[in-house]
Amino acid sequence: MAKIEFVDVSKSYPGAAKPAVDHVSFTVREGGICMLLGTSGSGKTTLLRMVNRLIDPTSGSILIDGTATTAQDPIALRRSIGYVIQQVGLFPHLTVEENVRVVPSILGESAAESTDRVDELLVLVGLPPQEFRKRYPRQLSGGQQQRVGLARALAADPALLLMDEPFGALDAITRTRMQDELLHIQRDMHKTILFVTHDVEEAFRLGDQIVILTDGKLMQEGTPIELLASPANDFVAQLVGADNVVRQFEYLPVMMALEPATGPARERISAEAPLLDGLLQLIQTGQTALAVEERGEMRGQVTLASISRALRERKPDAAATGDAQPSDAASAVAGA
Amino acid sequence: MSYIFDGFNWDLSDPTSIPNLLFQHLIITGISLAIGLLIAVPVGVLAARYTKIYLPAITLAGILYTLPSLAFMALLIPFTGLNPPTVIIPLVLYTQVVLIRNIVAAIRAVDPALLEVGRAMGMTERQVLFRVSFPLALPVIVAGLRVAAVTTIGIATIGPLFGVPDLGYLIFQGFNFRINVQIEAGVILVSALAVGVDLLLLALQSFLSRGRQVVAVA
Repeated sequence: MAKIEFVDVSKSYPGAAKPAVDHVSFTVREGGICMLLGTSGSGKTTLLRMVNRLIDPTSGSILIDGTATTAQDPIALRRSIGYVIQQVGLFPHLTVEENVRVVPSILGESAAESTDRVDELLVLVGLPPQEFRKRYPRQLSGGQQQRVGLARALAADPALLLMDEPFGALDAITRTRMQDELLHIQRDMHKTILFVTHDVEEAFRLGDQIVILTDGKLMQEGTPIELLASPANDFVAQLVGADNVVRQFEYLPVMMALEPATGPARERISAEAPLLDGLLQLIQTGQTALAVEERGEMRGQVTLASISRALRERKPDAAATGDAQPSDAASAVAGA
Repeated sequence: MSYIFDGFNWDLSDPTSIPNLLFQHLIITGISLAIGLLIAVPVGVLAARYTKIYLPAITLAGILYTLPSLAFMALLIPFTGLNPPTVIIPLVLYTQVVLIRNIVAAIRAVDPALLEVGRAMGMTERQVLFRVSFPLALPVIVAGLRVAAVTTIGIATIGPLFGVPDLGYLIFQGFNFRINVQIEAGVILVSALAVGVDLLLLALQSFLSRGRQVVAVA
């Protein structure tokens, strides 16, 4: 595991009017998936590439486990960091097996030494080794190529993984499947992952930390819930879809709709469960209230009315201007 | 064809028999191509990276290529006499235009994203060159070598005029003594050699392109 700290990092290119990255500071916690979210030109890829020194910052520093990257030899640094890019990343003249063992082999390991490791990794990413070891990238589908890319990035067992829009070129179904598998693999391996995306949906699905960048500046950084619940400004609110009812239901916890218990409730729900779970449980069980439980303690209850109220309170201006979409939707559900 | 199939012309003890002339022809073109590659590969690799080298290198090679072979070899006689170097030196220099241009184009055509991936994996610049650029460029380089090989085999036919008895001997000898079958034999053998070498290099090219689409002649 590795912790990454960005300390007042800036990058300006000569001749460019504005810096590509402008005084960005944040910390990626160990073992987490941190999503760098922004449109093209927001500086997210520049920020990523500064971690393994493909680009050096103009000012500020990046610390990995407390050591500045610029104090390390770039070659050694890169060998210790996994890197996955869009599908073009596989070497077309090498077989799947040879691609996966690129890093071990430049570290001087022989093919025989890394055979078991290669097989293990191929199994991990869901490619049966007997079938795929000897194939060339051209003989693989986009999704399969990306699996090999992931296996290759993991070959030297790096603590830190950089992923630059790895699923950007895949079709929607394959992308979703790859996202699920990444989460699945991450549950066992606990790498620190820095992941660049322009896809808000992807950022919310994968990230336990989201960093929003625009024009090289950090807009806001926090958990998906924090960004949804308290966007720092209109830009963030619009980007994360703070007024997107479906996303609110999916990510905001039932704690948001807590009210004092009015009586004993038969059904219970965890305080961290998303509103959607609360809603479904209310509808399915036909109860009017659910007891909210946090670490074994009863905190209060949620009802359809309290959920509806919570969503309405989150958008005071929308209600005032007549754009009553969230409260409408909520009351529609509440009245169901 | 009767000349080719006449057992008398396959006597190994006769230095002007078909197998000996063929062998000479192969040796002279083989040496020329090998030296040509030894010069063109480093020059090409450098020229692909540094534009400042490319233009002078390709201009010089282009000028040398315009020298007529007969005149070029004749010019060398005072220095090297009627010996193989008189033939080999021009042959080597003639290969340079095709080889250098192909090597530069092949290396430059490698997807820069792949070079970046190599660097991001922690390859040194040397490893990027030998593990990524060069293997990916190799099939195109061999495509250039095919063109150079066919040209070299053709030009080497004038070798006998400068003391190198290769397959051209059959043509000159046949011409001098008005023996048409001998001329025909020479022409057929030189052509067959050129086609054969080209096919062999084509096979090498497809082998080197494994995993990718085979590039047509560059």
